[in-house]
Amino acid sequence: MSNNVIGRAPAFSLAPSRARRRRRLFPYLLIAPSVVLLVAVTIFPLFFALKSSFYFWNLQMGPKPLGFIGFGNYRMALTSAVFMASVVNTLVLTVSGTVLEVFFGLMIALLLCHALPGMSVARALLIMPTTIAPIVVGFLFRYMYDPTGGLIPWLLAKAGVPIPRTGLLGSGLTALPSILFADMWQWTPFCAIVLYAALLSVPPHVIEAARLDGASAWTILRRIRLPLIRKTLSFVVMLRFMQLFNTFDLVLVLTRGGPGSSTRTLGYTLYQQGLVDFNIGLASAMTWIIVIMVNALIGLYVVFVFRDWE
Amino acid sequence: MRRKKLLLRTGLIYAGLILVLLVFIGPILWFALLAIRPSETVFAIPPVIFFTPSPAAFQSTFVDPGANRHQLVNSLIVAGGAVLLNLPFSFPAAYALSRFRMRGGKNMMLWYLGLLMAPPVAFLIPYFVLVSRIGLRGTYLAMILIMQTITIPFSVWLMKSFIDEVPVELEEAARVDGAKWPRVIARITLPLVRPGMIVTSMFAFVFSWNNAAFPLVLSNQRTATLPIGTLGYFATAGATWTFIGAAATAAMLPPMIIFLVLDRYVARGLTFGSLKG
Repeated sequence: MSNNVIGRAPAFSLAPSRARRRRRLFPYLLIAPSVVLLVAVTIFPLFFALKSSFYFWNLQMGPKPLGFIGFGNYRMALTSAVFMASVVNTLVLTVSGTVLEVFFGLMIALLLCHALPGMSVARALLIMPTTIAPIVVGFLFRYMYDPTGGLIPWLLAKAGVPIPRTGLLGSGLTALPSILFADMWQWTPFCAIVLYAALLSVPPHVIEAARLDGASAWTILRRIRLPLIRKTLSFVVMLRFMQLFNTFDLVLVLTRGGPGSSTRTLGYTLYQQGLVDFNIGLASAMTWIIVIMVNALIGLYVVFVFRDWE
Repeated sequence: MRRKKLLLRTGLIYAGLILVLLVFIGPILWFALLAIRPSETVFAIPPVIFFTPSPAAFQSTFVDPGANRHQLVNSLIVAGGAVLLNLPFSFPAAYALSRFRMRGGKNMMLWYLGLLMAPPVAFLIPYFVLVSRIGLRGTYLAMILIMQTITIPFSVWLMKSFIDEVPVELEEAARVDGAKWPRVIARITLPLVRPGMIVTSMFAFVFSWNNAAFPLVLSNQRTATLPIGTLGYFATAGATWTFIGAAATAAMLPPMIIFLVLDRYVARGLTFGSLKG
């Protein structure tokens, strides 16, 4: 009965024990179908990848694995310059993207907090970049970055900013920042809208009281608003961090990892190894390296952020 | 003096707002214009803002010969199918997690959340091999099934937040009157959470519509979704930019309309229900 939160004085407390057992099982029966399906489409494939990761297996050489090679694929992945470059690029993109998107998002959220006419329309429009498929954002920016007449190089040139001769996406120096910018364009509005919604829940009288006590806007932000939206803030940070870590669509459309390996992300390198070069064994090993990294990151988050939830 | 300061402040806020909208909405408009441009103005320098709009690109992509038309239908089938399939799995789970204190209930919620954070690309290789092996590659079923890794966890989270809002007292009363659980759920809970279910389904539709990684690997020429079909234009020499503009505009519109309709729920949907706006 203890698992039943409904009913202060259950009317069925004297029911026979078989019925009681059925009742206790009921919630698990409700969850079971979703768990079974999700295990079938996530856990099972991952174990398949785990097995494949110990074999030399290239689909271009035949449909079957060509032999057990132990940790050979892992060794090859971890010693390959391309893979390590992907790790570095992914971390650079993830950390800088999360920081910049959350920072600008917070600034815009504070701007939206001013109750002025037209603000709600602006808010409804602002979220639009986030609604677009990341791959379509890739199309959009490929058009905007085009070196032969795209809007962004033209604007930069007008502003006197020097542009690489090979174009923004064609230079090892500017390609990764260009991908970062496209991601920021799409997801800064997300941070802004969510943080704005959280800021709304801060009781206005608390802010008013602080203001009457002579607190500056900065103090109010740091001492009152941010602590009160802490939960949402950490949720936004986690979501952006994980999604940036998984960046794939933008790279696929904008640079295919180039020039050189300057914009390779883990996601793109994995795709290219497995589904362009059909190196299933090696790609499976990379899959598991990424799975371990992602789980470590989520684990850290669960321990430090979700510990005190609910 | 004070009035003047206030006016200046308001002016600054609006200036900031206009700048923000210019940066975030301007590119969308510029890109959408691409679809109705005469092709000689696509990369004109300086950029051409005023031109005679032409429906030619929409005509060729969606009507005649309409190469993208059946991809649009494919996108609808996959996203719509993914949402429909997800409901009988996610609603009972959300209900159980909302109403019962179960051992490991919180961990279950975190597991669903973990799946939402997982990199889709990490699953692509096993999916590619396994789906090919069972002969489902290129079928809608394969895509709809794999989309459940997104739609189920998302729907469980968001729907749970809506079920939490239905007062348990109503269910209790029916229970005391002797009604069985399935009947209570069907007659009392379900009608009350229907709006929440519709909101959840619309967001789930957007997330599934916007996923490109799975169809990229699991579809074939016949079942390719709209973004994957559009990707094909880049492979041809001299990308046909007005066609890309037209196809991409069609891919952008449904999510935009859904988000405008759901305006009140946007923050809630984007945080999987954990933030009730």
